Amino acid sequence: MQLIETTEQKQKQKTKPNLKGLLTTATCALLGTQAHAEVNTSDDKWRFDTAIMHYNEADRVTATEAIIAANKTYGNDEVLSLKLTIDALTGASANGAVAQPDAQTFTRPSGNGQYIVEGGETPLDNTFKDTRVQLTGQWTQPLSDVFTISAGGNFSKEYDYMSISGNTNLTRDFNQKNTTLSAGIAYAYDVIEPEGGIPKPFAEMVIAGFGSDEFDQAFADSRLTGDDSKATVDLLVGLTQVINRNMIVQMNYSYSSVRGYLTDPFKVLSVVDVNGYAQSYLHESRPDTRSKHAFYAQSKYHFGHSMLDTSYRYMTDDWEIDSHTFDVRYRVLFASGHYLEPHLRFYSQSAAEFYQPFLQQDDVLPMYASADYRIGELDTYTLGLQYGMPMDSGNSLSMRLEYYHQAPKSDGSASFGVLNDVELYEELDALIAQVTYSF
Amino acid sequence: MIKLFEHTKQVLVVTLVLITSLLSGCSSLGVEPWERDVLAKKEMALPTSAVDAALDDHIYFSKEASSGGRSFGGGGCGCN
Amino acid sequence: MPSQHHQQINTRKVSCQPRVGGFLVSFHAMASQCELLVDCDDQTLAQHLGKIAATEAWRIEDKYSRYQQNSVCGQLNRHAGKPCKIDQETLLLLNFAEQCYQLSDGLFDLTSGVLRKAWHFDGSDNVPNQTDVDALLPFIGWSKVNINKQLLEFTMLKSMEIDFGGIGKEYAVDRTVLLLSQWLSENLLAKANSNKTIPFLVNYGGDLAVNGARANNQAWQIGVERSGLNQTNTTMVTMREGAVATSGDAHRFLLKNGHRYSHVLNVKTGWPVENPPSAITVAAPKCIQAGFLATLALLQGKEAEQFLTEQDIKFWAIRPD
Repeated sequence: MQLIETTEQKQKQKTKPNLKGLLTTATCALLGTQAHAEVNTSDDKWRFDTAIMHYNEADRVTATEAIIAANKTYGNDEVLSLKLTIDALTGASANGAVAQPDAQTFTRPSGNGQYIVEGGETPLDNTFKDTRVQLTGQWTQPLSDVFTISAGGNFSKEYDYMSISGNTNLTRDFNQKNTTLSAGIAYAYDVIEPEGGIPKPFAEMVIAGFGSDEFDQAFADSRLTGDDSKATVDLLVGLTQVINRNMIVQMNYSYSSVRGYLTDPFKVLSVVDVNGYAQSYLHESRPDTRSKHAFYAQSKYHFGHSMLDTSYRYMTDDWEIDSHTFDVRYRVLFASGHYLEPHLRFYSQSAAEFYQPFLQQDDVLPMYASADYRIGELDTYTLGLQYGMPMDSGNSLSMRLEYYHQAPKSDGSASFGVLNDVELYEELDALIAQVTYSF
Repeated sequence: MIKLFEHTKQVLVVTLVLITSLLSGCSSLGVEPWERDVLAKKEMALPTSAVDAALDDHIYFSKEASSGGRSFGGGGCGCN
Repeated sequence: MPSQHHQQINTRKVSCQPRVGGFLVSFHAMASQCELLVDCDDQTLAQHLGKIAATEAWRIEDKYSRYQQNSVCGQLNRHAGKPCKIDQETLLLLNFAEQCYQLSDGLFDLTSGVLRKAWHFDGSDNVPNQTDVDALLPFIGWSKVNINKQLLEFTMLKSMEIDFGGIGKEYAVDRTVLLLSQWLSENLLAKANSNKTIPFLVNYGGDLAVNGARANNQAWQIGVERSGLNQTNTTMVTMREGAVATSGDAHRFLLKNGHRYSHVLNVKTGWPVENPPSAITVAAPKCIQAGFLATLALLQGKEAEQFLTEQDIKFWAIRPD
């Protein structure tokens, strides 16, 4: 009898029984207590999450980003989180001009050089090279049994850009912590100081006579100042609700208001004649305010051996950009603690009211215009796969690989002449690889 | 007759149980503190991984016109 | 060993001294320093709770110590080979031990103490030979014991020995928490008609449990040894609920021809497990669970940490450098 039980037990062992669950039953029988015993411990050691990510667009931008995040929980549930991010970016980025049948010459935004784009090619400025260092700190602490406050700051610096921000957030728990309401505010101040200065809105890109004094004078005349800034205020209110033992949902509303220099100093618009030939390139001009509303909802459902994480975001702003984002992750959990997580993301946005792929000669200049495809009508999707495994002493390792596809779409403006023969809305593919180690 | 009566009673009890469980399901979302075992798992955290979320926010902030929503995300860079 | 018993009898005193936030009650039981931390400002109450704790710890020591001839454990061992009457509490403990044996695929076994006849972990190179070990194996194995639940009888083979050492102290911690909580709810909370309890921590030689958070939801702070890169340091662990227990002893091993023999014995082979951590501390809702999980983890040898990680169990491990 005993022998048979042991054999059965061996078979169970192979499929990794839920040791904790079975042990709880055994303990309840021994101590005559209820099954709702819990354990709540934490230690004061620093925990680290380190990650390195490589982002690679075919023929365009390559970026490598490394993160070291550390957090520590103190005796009374205060949490200190610190994060250092370093990223390096090199490669080529679309300058906004349209492709042409013939080669086009452009002046670099710095005024220190020129580059030629072959006929039929989407114009890319290949001089992007920047390194960014970012430091983030956040302190969270309970104020009472139900209130928690959090405050943090962020400083980020790259060659031509600086950002400093602060935020604070208050949460209140209700209904045995099954419902949590939160409200937060963040303020950010950014300064951009592009090499070559800030171009005047709609100033023509100076190309002819490169190297001459006349060129230098004309280039200087096309510039406004050396730097400019913007200020952002974000407000966020959120609700987190535990639905049942296996499900939790979160809903947020956020409002963001930016004021200041919102134009991209590196982007131009082609001015084309009636046959579609580019006659000149004008620096873009965007409004100096933008306010966004975002609604975000996320739910997580645990099936025991897998977990489904879905989220949706709707964003709308006064530039008339509306966007929808769907994100689905399905984590398959193996008994060994390993997991596999496929990921799908769909994103679709409408164009800003002032987006136009090019300007036409003889047209009256609009107040604002930008040919940056990132504020045009755009659909993107991401396909990803993550694999994670536990390591010794509670450490963990995970890897993920994602494929990102961007498909800019026509805003409906009819193309004509030679523009019919070139690709105005070039698609873009990128690969993202990341390794994360937590200890 | 008696059998029929018993059957009706059974149906009544089943229906009552269903209605009660539906009502209590709607009026009291959430779990007792000792039922948080599943919610306490790493994969149920919001967000699952802060580091992954930060990297994603950075990519999509620089490639698309929308950002944030989940938290004060993205920004802080002159991404091109 | 009997002399140790007399010594314990002589030192059965409970002392109570004030500390920040309340009182520290201490006494000696089960070969360990035992403590009860009570967060209250009433010394008489703290002393009374201390008396309940010490009485229970000593009761369990007297009942299940293998050093005491007249303990239940001593009697079961003396009458090995014959059916032995047991009481309800012993039956529950034996049932728990049986479940642990099954959950551990036979690695956790209260009859493994017989191996002490061959193994003396005194830091020497005194490694027994295979014949000595083999000779003991027939007298080890939970599959050779029989528990008759109806007749309340326990039977094991002659020359077998049972030892509650692996679960006794942890059981005492859980029982003490239970008794103190019961006493508090019957005598204080019911009268005061409030749901605020008096927070306490029971610590029997490093195996400990709390009844909940301290005032204002503050956590209890405990020191747990944990290995760093090449030194052992103490980690401060905060606790609001549940228990922790430690298994292992860094000072018990044998060293022969450069090979380190751990004191963690595999009952199936009679030989030490290769490369276990020197000690492992586990957190669990109940102390007896933490103790079992810590021991079971040690028995996994070099996979100890992975075993606990896979089961999603919180732990702190020390490995020999």
